[in-house]
Amino acid sequence: MYLDEAWRILVANRIRSLLTILGLIIGVGAVVAIQVLGTSMAGAVNGALGTFADNTFIIFPDATQRNVRQAAIRLSDLPALRAIPGIQDALPIEQFQDLVRVGHNVARERIGAEGAIPFNNLPAIYGRIISSSDVALATDVCVLPYDAYTHLFPQGGDPTGQSIYVGPHRYLIVGVLSKPKQGFLNANFGGGGISIPWTTYVRNYIRGDSIFAARFVTADASDIPALELAVIAKLRALRGGAQGLAYQMFDKSQVTGSINGIFNAITLVVGLIGAVSLLVAGIGIMNIMLVSVAERTREIGVRKAIGARRAQILWQFFIEALLLCSSGCMIGMLIGLAIGGFVNAAFIVRLTGTTVAIPFAQAFGIAAGFAVIVTLAFGTYPAYRAARLDPIEALRYE
Amino acid sequence: MNNGSTQSSAAIVFERITKTYKNGTLEVPVLHGIDLVVKHGEYVAIMGPSGSGKSTMMNIIGCLDRATSGSYHLDGEDVSDLDDNALAAIRLRKLGFIFQGFNLLARTDAIKNVSLPLFYAGIGTKERERRAVAALDEVGLGDRAHHKPNELSGGQQQRVAIARALINDPAVLLADEPTGNLDTKTSADIMALFDKLHEQGRTIIMVTHDEEVASQARRIIRLRDGLIVADEQASPTTAG
Repeated sequence: MYLDEAWRILVANRIRSLLTILGLIIGVGAVVAIQVLGTSMAGAVNGALGTFADNTFIIFPDATQRNVRQAAIRLSDLPALRAIPGIQDALPIEQFQDLVRVGHNVARERIGAEGAIPFNNLPAIYGRIISSSDVALATDVCVLPYDAYTHLFPQGGDPTGQSIYVGPHRYLIVGVLSKPKQGFLNANFGGGGISIPWTTYVRNYIRGDSIFAARFVTADASDIPALELAVIAKLRALRGGAQGLAYQMFDKSQVTGSINGIFNAITLVVGLIGAVSLLVAGIGIMNIMLVSVAERTREIGVRKAIGARRAQILWQFFIEALLLCSSGCMIGMLIGLAIGGFVNAAFIVRLTGTTVAIPFAQAFGIAAGFAVIVTLAFGTYPAYRAARLDPIEALRYE
Repeated sequence: MNNGSTQSSAAIVFERITKTYKNGTLEVPVLHGIDLVVKHGEYVAIMGPSGSGKSTMMNIIGCLDRATSGSYHLDGEDVSDLDDNALAAIRLRKLGFIFQGFNLLARTDAIKNVSLPLFYAGIGTKERERRAVAALDEVGLGDRAHHKPNELSGGQQQRVAIARALINDPAVLLADEPTGNLDTKTSADIMALFDKLHEQGRTIIMVTHDEEVASQARRIIRLRDGLIVADEQASPTTAG
């Protein structure tokens, strides 16, 4: 009864109702859209980086510094770096491209150095990955990534036991990795090519001492920030205490952290915009409810004359405000979900290759929460005014 | 003090009712001490020039306002000192209002208008509809149950308003210039309906300027300057 009367009033004044809730629609729409994007972005980042091992980090010299040559990491540094407490392994990151041949098939592929603890946690669909004895013995074996496998074995089938030829070198295929997710975050250095044991790579391909970058494996992922600093300090010490040498680091939590940081900032700004627009919308709703109470003074008088108690009048206008606010918030939620869903599908999924479920429950929670808060904050006073009217004066009102 | 049996058997008992409005520091007395007994089943017209206090008296009878002093028993119940919510409950149970301007809810069909008091009394939808249809039948509008006020003539709207006033089976039916917005022919129809209600034993109190309308009542009370100056039984043809 209260609800269908409220609905009748709102529909009878549909233009006014729509204009009144416009602010709510925009405010809730913005907040819900950013919520959807934030959730899917965070999910996408985690999904894309999911295969990058947690307990590993990379150090490389800053290429913009004046003494790049002096800063370069050297193979001969690795034993000292491996000796830092907490570091389990240190290995070079190096790769090159060359023609790779299997039987009559030839393809241009990347060949990279790999350790027993891989850069990417991709499972093998055939055979195995590089083992620690491969590294220890510098065996001539290789593991194919999925794309190289499809180039070299278009007919499919288990290729383990066959060999690939790269220039004068021959490598026994011991495994094939599963297909990685497609996305910009997977375009990482060191990963993605045909892997050979890094010791084999050093023997066959590295002529000098300096290497592109070094990768470190730690016992515990939470030690990474401290160990990164320890490694850089050690490198500077090895260069005779040259404090000016600049190094950069890369690890999973750093990437997720910086992307999440950007999103948190955006969320904060949009949240503030949303809060301001909700405040403005709330004032608009209060204004229109006061107008409505004034217009219907006589009706309120009649209702009181025929026996409506204060609480019943209060409730009627409160329900009307609630209906107004919830329609605004629900429309805003749908628009927010549509915008968020579209941007998610059109950009985030395409860029990162990760699909994240749209957070419907959260969006509904935001919309319902705003509806209740705005109603309570801005609908209570007009309803109270209506309930408090003197029936005689109200009946006399023209 | 009258004896208790008179109070409980009467619809309305006023004892030395006064009403004084305060306008800042200025006190404006409107009713100067009114004694009045209206028995169940009476049909009373209250007349008087503007400023005579008849609206104020109507508001007090209708439990929309409280007297400044004196006591008021409505249908045997002392309502002199009730608070707003208790007065609302009294209006809901014991009074039916009929206004000059009908005062129906716009965009709301006859059934919903008529059943509104039952909604405030907390009666369920089915029962409300059943009783609203019966009340509309009683005023001869059974076939207009789903019409909205703007689809009804003035006379029909006033009949809906009368059905609304009757729906809670009130002890007293209060009408404020019930024909003030109607043409002569329709007025006569409405007055005939009041006659019929009176014959069924309803207690009716009507405020009017119109001598012809007032002459339909069985008793006419004339007010002037906040006092009853005349209280006449109109015609001896019908017993009260």
